[in-house]
Amino acid sequence: MIRIPGLKPPPSKNMAKRRVENVVVNNTQGTVPEMAHPRLPGGFNLPPFGVHQVLAVVIVCIALWAVGVIWLGMQAASQWVGSWQQDIHIHVYLDVKKDQADSGKRADKLQQALQSIPQIAAVRRIPPAEAAVWMQTWLHDAALNAQDLTNRLPLTFEISLTDAQSRFLFDDIRDAAGRFGGRVNEDEVNLARAHYWLSQASWLAGFASLVLALAMALIISNTLRMTLLARADEIHLMRLLGAKEWFVRMPFILEGMVLGAAAGIAAWLLLWPIVWGSSAWLLTMQVDLNLWVLLPALLFGGGVVGTLGAVIATARVVSAETGV
Amino acid sequence: MATVCVMSFEKPLIHMQQLMLRYPTGKTALSGITLEIPQGQFVYMIGESGAGKSSLLRMFYGGVRPSSGSLVVQGLDMRQANDAKIREIRQRTGIIFQDHRLLFSRTVFENVALPLRVQGWQTERLIPRVRKVLAYVGLADRLWSYPEALSGGEQQRVAIARAMTANPPLILADEPTGNLDVDTARRVLDYLMDLNRAGATVIMATHDLHLLESHPGRVVQLHGGTLAGDDW
Repeated sequence: MIRIPGLKPPPSKNMAKRRVENVVVNNTQGTVPEMAHPRLPGGFNLPPFGVHQVLAVVIVCIALWAVGVIWLGMQAASQWVGSWQQDIHIHVYLDVKKDQADSGKRADKLQQALQSIPQIAAVRRIPPAEAAVWMQTWLHDAALNAQDLTNRLPLTFEISLTDAQSRFLFDDIRDAAGRFGGRVNEDEVNLARAHYWLSQASWLAGFASLVLALAMALIISNTLRMTLLARADEIHLMRLLGAKEWFVRMPFILEGMVLGAAAGIAAWLLLWPIVWGSSAWLLTMQVDLNLWVLLPALLFGGGVVGTLGAVIATARVVSAETGV
Repeated sequence: MATVCVMSFEKPLIHMQQLMLRYPTGKTALSGITLEIPQGQFVYMIGESGAGKSSLLRMFYGGVRPSSGSLVVQGLDMRQANDAKIREIRQRTGIIFQDHRLLFSRTVFENVALPLRVQGWQTERLIPRVRKVLAYVGLADRLWSYPEALSGGEQQRVAIARAMTANPPLILADEPTGNLDVDTARRVLDYLMDLNRAGATVIMATHDLHLLESHPGRVVQLHGGTLAGDDW
């Protein structure tokens, strides 16, 4: 019989029965199956996964997938804008009348004013002949007198930009044009400022991601709350036995981290069909999406969100009898 | 590894002076208790329901803090002790409950190993210790069984194994025989007496006065939250 150091087997009125039992113990010890990895609670041991956890992974995966789609869209938009933004030109129009003596002088001054703006690479005055060709092309087969319309066109300056993202560039162009009675093609300005709208959109995407992250953290938090309630006895007992708080909470925090990271990987895998399905269409817009950059973001983002949810869930796990 | 201390009867393991406990509800559970429990004693705590037995036991492991008076357990002033010190006291205290408080989703092995896990024992090291303890209480063949497959007596033996597995110098038993038949209760007492003979101080709250005849010990009687008798 195995003896505890310093302990003898307890005395009993029925020692014979005890001896028989001890023999049974001796005999059965050899037959007691070994369990190589007992599932011990607390510390760095993960709690068992159940249906609640699977559901949480599915829900968080959907939310992370939505975040992934948003950022994939941002990536596509950024590439698409970048593909045509280098070729964009801004046109400034100046109404001149043939009988006005200072018309030519005003045009020259406007051209000089535009050229003095540092972010402008070149200012080209479009000759009337080129304007006439453009007008003819635009009218195509319309039964209109192109020459008459061309004569009505304002004097046009074509501006090539060196840095369309410069903060006050378009204000400077508007100022210069305004000083000499000219006006800027605002539609082209809006196109040139697409990067600005993209950055605004990325703020919105970031905000949406934050809201979704909070929702995901709450979902994981609620799931872990259910697990905590189901295992309240275990937590309570561990505290009665003198377990430190990190020992009690660590399994749940690990669980939250694993749930979030698993949902992140699943969401990333589910983004592939979108990329495959739209690749031909995106290629026509010179967009080549890189999904791999989203893997670490979704993986670590999911992990962080899961950990946050677990921290929220375990923040107030009260065991009344232990005073904790 | 913790070891069972061989103790003398001179140094008090628990000392209380004019101890009072009042719950936030306003109910006074204990009042004016002055008592000393030396190391190595076997103490029965008797009294009617609501006499304050369980409240006193809970104070010994920091489950509740005294409202006034003084309580020193294993050298620690329980009124002043911070949470870390309370955790240390709990690691040096084996607790046995009437309802066992076994984890039914865990095996017998996992239940008994829990105190050792809490104290940071590695799995490889705690397996032989748990096997020994379970063999001692006659449950070596139920290592990987779940508690629900065990009888009431076997469950209480698992609870005893869990309380003794870390070799604590103090064992608190809150009516451990309350749900057991007479023979099984006596066997449970056999184990507790044996742990006491090995040096552990055992304090047991009970209603089973007939056990006092077969297993003698110091009897402390509580009544209405006050000390009504002490045969020491």
